[in-house]
Amino acid sequence: MGVLFLKVHLRIFVEVENLGKAMNALVEAGITGFYILEYKGMSPQDWEGFSIKEDPKSAVRLIRDHANDAMLICCVVDEEKTDKIVEKVMELMEGEKYTILEVPIKRIIVNYKDKESKRAETWLLEKEVPCFYCGENAVQRVKIDMNKAKIWCTNCGAARYYLVKGVEKEGK
Amino acid sequence: MVIKKWKLEKGAKCYNCGDATIHDVKVDQYNIKIRCRDCGFTRYYTFHMVDLPVKSDL
Repeated sequence: MGVLFLKVHLRIFVEVENLGKAMNALVEAGITGFYILEYKGMSPQDWEGFSIKEDPKSAVRLIRDHANDAMLICCVVDEEKTDKIVEKVMELMEGEKYTILEVPIKRIIVNYKDKESKRAETWLLEKEVPCFYCGENAVQRVKIDMNKAKIWCTNCGAARYYLVKGVEKEGK
Repeated sequence: MVIKKWKLEKGAKCYNCGDATIHDVKVDQYNIKIRCRDCGFTRYYTFHMVDLPVKSDL
């Protein structure tokens, strides 16, 4: 039976000027990947006492005038590593404004591109001959994609472009 | 300048049969032909355009 490793979705809300500081803390704590969202936010203390006129214009103006630019940094981490990461962020962000959420992840599904698109890889070939343009004996690189090809001289950069014209199938 | 025909080879998975085989790549001034040695599937490319750098000594 496999061991169950729990994952946590770590969400760190910081002010835009503290993004670098928070990122450094996360990298120092050993996170491997992350994504960032830019947003406009209002803290409960800023919000207190407000009542918004319900027309869309007023609501939008309120966000423009009163909300602060902020960043949300998200990463998926192992549950056992979460405390260490959070402690590091708290240490480096001391005295700054931030909010940290730890959300347990029930399931992760990752899908990759289908086989068809994986097969359509680019080929690279080389041939050392005199260039048709500069005449120097230099490596000519050939790059072949599914629908186009390019040949260029590594000495002078002269390039020829080709487009796919057709395909032909034949029996063995 | 007349370009001599190049004959190159590329070991790769065939787009058609999916096998890892040798492909013959023939290149000349106006055409490129790529043929899978296993199934014979051939792709033809034709010359589209040229991009030349400015020669400083001209």
